[in-house]
Amino acid sequence: MKTLVKRILIGAIPLAMMSSCETALDKSPFNAITDASAFSTADRCLLSLYGVYDAAQSSPYTDGTVRGYPFGAANIEQGDARGEDVINVAAFFQITYQATYNTTTANNVGHWGALYALINKANISIDGFKNAAKSNIITAAAAAQYEAECRFLRALAHHEAVTLFARPYLDGNGNKLGVPYRDFAINSGSAVDQVRAIPRPTVAENYEKILADLDFAETNLPATLSPGTVRATKAAAIALKQRVKLHKGDWAGVIAEGAKLVPAAAPFVSPIGAWKLTDEPSGPFTNNSSTESIFSIRNDALDNTGTNGALPSMYGAANLGARGLLAISPIIWNNAKWLETDKRRTQLYLTGANANGASTVNVFTKKYTSYTERADFAPQIRYAEVLLNSAEAEARQATGVSDRAIALLNAVRNRALAAPATEAYTAASFADKKALIAAILLERRVEFLAEGKRWSDIHRNAVDPDFNTGGIPAKYANAAQGAALYKVGGAINPTQAAIPYADFRFIWPIPDTEKTQNPIIEQNPGY
Amino acid sequence: MRNFLLASLCLLLGFCTQLRAQERTVTGAVTSSDDSSPLPGVSVVVKGTLVGTVTDGNGKYSIRVPNGNSTLVFSFVGMEELEVLVGSQSVINPSLKTLANELSEVVVVGYGVQQRKAFTGSASKVDAKQFANLMTPSIDKQLAGRATGVQVTNVGGGVNTPARIRIRGTNSVNQANDPLIVVDGIPIISGNLASTTNSNALGDINPADIENMEVLKDGSATAIYGSRAAAGVILITTKKGTKGRGKVSYDASIGFNNALKRFDVLNAQEFVMIANEKLANAGQALRANMDAAQTNTNWQDQVMVNNAAVHNHTLSAQGGTEKTSYYMSLNYSQQQGIIITNFNKAYRARLNVEHEANKYLKVGNNITISRQDDGDQNNGTNALSGAISSTLRLLPNVSPYNANHPTGFNINWPNGNSMNPGANTTSVDDNFTNAAFTLRNNQYRSDKYRIINNSFIEISPIQGLKLRSVFSADMLSDYSFQSWTNLHGDGYGTSTGGTNGYVYNENQNRLRYTWQNYVNYNLTLGKNHNIYLTAGHEVQRDNYKWHSTSGSNISDMFFIKENFITGSAAIQTTGGSMTQSGFESFFGRFNYDFNNKYFVQASIRRDGQSSLAPEKRYGVFPGFSAGWRVSQEGFWVNSGLSQYFNEVKLKASYARVGNTLSGFPYLSTYGARPYGNISGIAVSAIGNSDLQWETSNKYDVGVDIGILNNRFNLTADYFVNDVDNLVLGVPTPLSAGVPGNSISQNIGSLRNKGIELSIGGDILKTKDFTWNANFNYSNIKNEITALYSIGGTAVPYIQNGGYNLIEVGQPINVIHGYQFSGVNSANGNPVYVKADGTLAQLNISNGAPFSIGGYYVASGQNEGTLGAQTSLTFNDRARLGNPTPVWFGAFTNNFNYKGLSLEVMLRYSGGNKIFNITRQDALMNQSFQNNGREILQRWQKPGDITNVPKLYYGQGNNINQSQLANSRFLESGDYLRLQNIVLTYSVPSKALTKATKGFVQSLRLFAQGQNLAVWTKYSGADPDNISTLGLDNAVSPQIRTVSFGLNVGF
Repeated sequence: MKTLVKRILIGAIPLAMMSSCETALDKSPFNAITDASAFSTADRCLLSLYGVYDAAQSSPYTDGTVRGYPFGAANIEQGDARGEDVINVAAFFQITYQATYNTTTANNVGHWGALYALINKANISIDGFKNAAKSNIITAAAAAQYEAECRFLRALAHHEAVTLFARPYLDGNGNKLGVPYRDFAINSGSAVDQVRAIPRPTVAENYEKILADLDFAETNLPATLSPGTVRATKAAAIALKQRVKLHKGDWAGVIAEGAKLVPAAAPFVSPIGAWKLTDEPSGPFTNNSSTESIFSIRNDALDNTGTNGALPSMYGAANLGARGLLAISPIIWNNAKWLETDKRRTQLYLTGANANGASTVNVFTKKYTSYTERADFAPQIRYAEVLLNSAEAEARQATGVSDRAIALLNAVRNRALAAPATEAYTAASFADKKALIAAILLERRVEFLAEGKRWSDIHRNAVDPDFNTGGIPAKYANAAQGAALYKVGGAINPTQAAIPYADFRFIWPIPDTEKTQNPIIEQNPGY
Repeated sequence: MRNFLLASLCLLLGFCTQLRAQERTVTGAVTSSDDSSPLPGVSVVVKGTLVGTVTDGNGKYSIRVPNGNSTLVFSFVGMEELEVLVGSQSVINPSLKTLANELSEVVVVGYGVQQRKAFTGSASKVDAKQFANLMTPSIDKQLAGRATGVQVTNVGGGVNTPARIRIRGTNSVNQANDPLIVVDGIPIISGNLASTTNSNALGDINPADIENMEVLKDGSATAIYGSRAAAGVILITTKKGTKGRGKVSYDASIGFNNALKRFDVLNAQEFVMIANEKLANAGQALRANMDAAQTNTNWQDQVMVNNAAVHNHTLSAQGGTEKTSYYMSLNYSQQQGIIITNFNKAYRARLNVEHEANKYLKVGNNITISRQDDGDQNNGTNALSGAISSTLRLLPNVSPYNANHPTGFNINWPNGNSMNPGANTTSVDDNFTNAAFTLRNNQYRSDKYRIINNSFIEISPIQGLKLRSVFSADMLSDYSFQSWTNLHGDGYGTSTGGTNGYVYNENQNRLRYTWQNYVNYNLTLGKNHNIYLTAGHEVQRDNYKWHSTSGSNISDMFFIKENFITGSAAIQTTGGSMTQSGFESFFGRFNYDFNNKYFVQASIRRDGQSSLAPEKRYGVFPGFSAGWRVSQEGFWVNSGLSQYFNEVKLKASYARVGNTLSGFPYLSTYGARPYGNISGIAVSAIGNSDLQWETSNKYDVGVDIGILNNRFNLTADYFVNDVDNLVLGVPTPLSAGVPGNSISQNIGSLRNKGIELSIGGDILKTKDFTWNANFNYSNIKNEITALYSIGGTAVPYIQNGGYNLIEVGQPINVIHGYQFSGVNSANGNPVYVKADGTLAQLNISNGAPFSIGGYYVASGQNEGTLGAQTSLTFNDRARLGNPTPVWFGAFTNNFNYKGLSLEVMLRYSGGNKIFNITRQDALMNQSFQNNGREILQRWQKPGDITNVPKLYYGQGNNINQSQLANSRFLESGDYLRLQNIVLTYSVPSKALTKATKGFVQSLRLFAQGQNLAVWTKYSGADPDNISTLGLDNAVSPQIRTVSFGLNVGF
């Protein structure tokens, strides 16, 4: 037996020794940097910052694909499809268009998820920047600026969420249920547990934190950055703050923020960042980085939101190579107060084939024309909006018809007029201040048509006694089509009934999965 | 050593005794009873002596025997030994029988073989002969019904889609549920691996090269595979050469594939009526008209082929000398699917060689080289150019062709994004594309090369001890290609808009090295103590890398025929990545049996795995089993029971095995996330350094019974798999914004328990006729037993998509949705039961103040007046059914009459529910699209009793509750399938040898039909067309194959 054991050992030992010198187990990823070193150099910090912007362009949709959620395209498309100024041509946006969403509908679940994915990436990066500054990897100033960019995006995302999933601020001065406000990094199981202890704050609490973020951003952002437009600058922070205060009904605040960007008298050129209107209404769309494009989300040929998301795919006419899914509605097109001779009607719109075939047409926008590369930026803040925000606040704050409001309104409108000398508004154009405000609100619909701003105006004015739309307004029937629908001054025949403000469908439901995983989050009533 | 000396002495003495006897000469020729071919190299020995000889090349021998009382012993590897008393004969022409169940006597186990009678685990053997004549691109597709406890689902008719194999149930929620596949001792790369087509890596193994398959099921049998054993193990052994006897054979078959069942859609006339009724009910202008030619297109005819050709050829040679044996084969197989673009072509070669350098040392090498070409198409379940999704929706009153278009197909010109509407006022909604065109112009292809090489050296320093070192390299290279024309379909566009042609190439490269070093030692102590030891070490390294190129806005479609061409695309992008992983393991097994009566086994494996944190990397997986052959006991033998039950073995086992993880789930990582063309990185995963693998506690008790001297065999097992530490990407709240909305954790457990029963044997056995039958039955119940907690409160369920739940107390992925209570006969609205028992009806018709698509209280099923507004909430959903088959099995009959044999195999499966999304989304849509014929039963006027609601254009999502389950589209998955009929005729060998002057040794002709019929209440294409979630969503029909073939032996 002894010999036997010896022989086994002699045979087995060399074999075992040969193979155990391998290091099969010490592997690490080649396709990702670990958290230990993601902020270990100044360059990596900057990469992480751009990663947060990327999350604004394309956080994963519910199926993991890129469809432009939240700000690469989706906020614009959803913002329009919730309103009455577009027609949903096929089934693509039908659920949003007809307000038949529920707690599992992909669009609103996807939007909710994408907004918070952006927010958490911002929060994780803010931690990383702070630590990098402590370790002298980047300067304190750089860390503050990066943090400011992240907090700008965080504010933008929370404001989008509170506009879609909560009642407007003006309903009860913000005492309705808001959305969760995430202001710390969630990068571990214990951080997730922390989240689960935080109930929904009120809308007012949301606004307070949004404004605090934007104040920080304004203080720490430079007036210009390279590349421009696609990164947040000081002017972007101010403009967004102005928009937020408009939602809050803080007219004085809007005026104060506006004053930082709009001189007292024409020419209106921003002292911060030198933003100004382009000469033509088409200017911001023929040049993604125009003098007017304060903040847009970048898309380009190599990284865009794809055929199922991109603005040119969805809004463009099918005969131009787009999908022809979101058409302009006669509700706005036929409105005679939008002058027939307005340059925007020809520069930015055309009659073209829709998704349902070559012979079926609607009016489509030409604001997004990169039909093969899908490289149109997603416009978020234009200087025109700053002017109209100020105009509205001035008009509302004044006791009579505000001249400054008219001047600001005209700045935007006149460039589109065929004959500004005769068609421009004067004080005489308005019977009272309400008429002026109405004209400004209409101008917003016209100027920002197909830029997704319709819903936020419907939402913020939903309880305004004078300018509410009665909830979700009546709309044209899904897939209403044909050239005959369109005639300036022609009949407007919306057959899809309005949904009253009081109806639960006015705001989106909190997704089921949120409710399941985070029971402390209260569902919106009715869902 | 003492024993050896004694034996030598005896032999010597015996030899000496013989010398004194009278001698005479006996001659003859030895043949094989299989085919009467002469057997060279047969050992012929006078029993009890050392006198012997070997047959020559023609099987002839001549031997001198002492006297008439001598006995000649004829022996040959792989044949039954034969003893013949010489008597007065001077010519003896014996015929040797093949050891038919040579392998059935043993069980192939991990790192060795065991005597079947001593095997105490649970394994099912699948004899290669069972599928030898079947037309199949890969063996996984023929496994269904062959083994108890093994549930095999062939989803759809794609010839290159791997079968889904589940051994003893679904054993994991998130991790792999596919068994470990081990070929000739080495775990091989398997799966559906090409990037643009379905492609089956197991198709690289030629089914004709397979000698034996053993499915290891219980803990004891699988424990030697440790952390990779939770989903079971399939051991495949390929053919080896037989010493001495060269044999060449050629197998060929040719056949035809057809769809077993197509979808039943509306014809043109019916479509016009239904489409216009949808529009009229919605107050919209009618759009559908018949054209003057009365065009009636069945779009399925445009994408499916009848009698798709299949053929398969294998040429093999095997044989060997005293020292060296070889098996080699060449194969060409072509399988055309029923969708015109679906095919698989395989070119496979194998060479298995073993050489004994001397009695201590053996070396060998097994290599297989394979190329597979796969063709496929857009199979997207909702894709506008999906082969099935589009054919179900395209308008039947429109022709696929249009002479005015340059291509001859019905495409609008010049705006080719849509079809010409024909006599309709609009084209098909959503612009589903002309499938007749897109399938013929868009390409989805893959060609794969595969080399699997194992080299081994085996040293046997002493009797019973074998040291074996095996090194294996498994290399897979896939080159995938996809192209879309710009004229119409997915790639539509012009140089100023749209995709304008698209081309994609991807190359992936997988490499797996495995190095095993192990020892097997057999030892008999005294008379009755048998010990069998296995111990060893194994290392595995995996490398996977890929890169891709895509181009769109192509300058000219000339450039997208076969490959991406540099510079031909205005927009070019590239992609790529790579991963590495590894295992390192030590393992050992100890078997002991006493007197062939009592058996115990213990095994252990320690696995290290690269995907876990260094401090959590190693796990230990033990297994134990015991067996008792009751039939060997004196009381049994003497009781008279042994007359009926000659073999009774009881066995029990327990083991803890694991399920591995992949990637680096313990790390928090930042991936590349560019912002446009500005480079960026962003957190891509939140890791958990505490992660461990899933553990599976497997329990099994069983009995093997041989009846009437093994004329019948019965096997029964009861098992429980308790799976714990399930790794779940535990969902995090969306509002936490964690990447993937989950963090992996070991939280959750599930249990599979079931019974397996197999009984078979010769029902009739006469001289010329035998009827052999086998029946098997498995019943497996799955239950989720625990999930994680949130803040101390146990989470009762996790949603898995819109249709399923993972819920404690329910089978995994229970289908979850609203309860449809029928159509309101007063107004045609669908009515649902809420959780509180009240009814909610969906308002289909428009009209204030009731908004279309809203839910309103119905005070009774047929109450026509809408009540208060209500809604269907998450809590109103019920558990509708188990998506996984619970019971399944097969009944196989073999009839043999002289040279004729007939096999009939029936297979059954059921106990599951199918949620028929094909019906919900495609066949019952409310768009300007075609429908299934079920829609003809729609509600039309008050008083109509039906389950199909009123038609209303544009309200399909609401009427059918798209994206959600409801009981209206839930159906039973029970079925009985006529799986195979195989008729074989073996030409009598004597006649054959005579006719061909010995050139052809054997000839068999056969005809067979596979998947000939299915009996089911399921209304879809096939009850096997289900995902793991029990969902059937626009899957290609199944294939019925009829083929004819021959086997020739030379």
